[in-house]
Amino acid sequence: MAKKKTLCIPRLFWDFFKFGLFTFGGGWSIIAQMQELYVEKEKTITDEDLLDLTSVGRSLPGTMIGNIAMLYGYRMAGYVGGAVCLFGMILPPFLILIAIAGFYQVVKTNIWVMAAMMGVRCAVVPIIAVAAWKMVNGAFKYPPCYAVTVLVAVLYLFLNVNCVYLVIIGGIAGWLISSFYEKKGLKETEKPTGSKVRNSDEMRTADAARMEKPDAEGRK
Amino acid sequence: MLVLLQLYWSFLKIGFTSFGGLSMIPLISSEMSAHGWMDSSEISDIVAIAEMTPGPLGLNCASFAGMKAAGVLGAVFANLGVLTPTLTVCALAAVFFEKWQKSTVMQRLLTGIRPACIGMVAGVLATLSLTNYVRPGMSGVDAINYVSVILGVVDMILFIRFKQSIPRVIIFSGVAGLILFGFLGL
Repeated sequence: MAKKKTLCIPRLFWDFFKFGLFTFGGGWSIIAQMQELYVEKEKTITDEDLLDLTSVGRSLPGTMIGNIAMLYGYRMAGYVGGAVCLFGMILPPFLILIAIAGFYQVVKTNIWVMAAMMGVRCAVVPIIAVAAWKMVNGAFKYPPCYAVTVLVAVLYLFLNVNCVYLVIIGGIAGWLISSFYEKKGLKETEKPTGSKVRNSDEMRTADAARMEKPDAEGRK
Repeated sequence: MLVLLQLYWSFLKIGFTSFGGLSMIPLISSEMSAHGWMDSSEISDIVAIAEMTPGPLGLNCASFAGMKAAGVLGAVFANLGVLTPTLTVCALAAVFFEKWQKSTVMQRLLTGIRPACIGMVAGVLATLSLTNYVRPGMSGVDAINYVSVILGVVDMILFIRFKQSIPRVIIFSGVAGLILFGFLGL
């Protein structure tokens, strides 16, 4: 199904090259950028898909955003697509680091560079926060899901629990919550039985997103 | 040549045992000093540099350490080391994920994993806020950097109200930082 939307390989490379240039803040802003381009503008994936890719990427070994690039690329254009996204994304930081490593004593003590970087850092939190806020739409299927978010945030912040365990906890909680609600039969129509149901979900969130931002298309 | 293989091997270990972010630092630090590629002050520099340049921390550390140890080729090999898990484990996971994302079992698990992921992002935002909007004050008491907070709010308004793209917001914020923290010395 996703294969229909296959983008051409050079486009993927160029997209991720641009993402790579602006992934400040430990890389989390790549999710915001993918959300902006792929979810809102091109609608190649949904908010839920992006969250799913993020969760999977976060819980595998290696760098998270490399994994996300790989997963997205694979979805769009198979292995080659994955590798292309990955290398496109790492190329800009790689080149920048090569340059900086050469004369990093100069860079480190340069107040202008530090001042600009301090400014850039100020933008990172709002950008990631807005992306996360938009993804909230499709994340909470049943009311207890909110409790999972709070629990995970607390475990992450105060107990430094490894993200792999957090994803596992989320999975177990998801299983329990879904089976409980499915048994109760409250959500007959939303019972996750396959792509048909998903599609209606997708449409609903897409509609909601459109209503929120009528001119999202016009944004450049 | 031996150095290149050592670099690859070190960063392969780092890649497989870490799950992104700052969790890599202790491992990087022990690997670097074991081989004598970097001293402890360079390791703390690396973190600062990796955080202020774009790209994930692990890859930036790999580039920097590889560069220090064996030049550009060293950086290439170190990067390949960190990326090996992504190219192998993650590529395999991609196949399974594409197949089963829409299955009932996976949907049930994801019902909980999605909110968990939002929770993690919330956690990350909190830690990022601490590093970005709080500056270490005198006598160990940290103070909120109001200039940074205001700039953050302006960025947010540009982003939401005026629909500026992410690169534009970042560039704007960098220039604003140059003026506010550089010229005006706030």
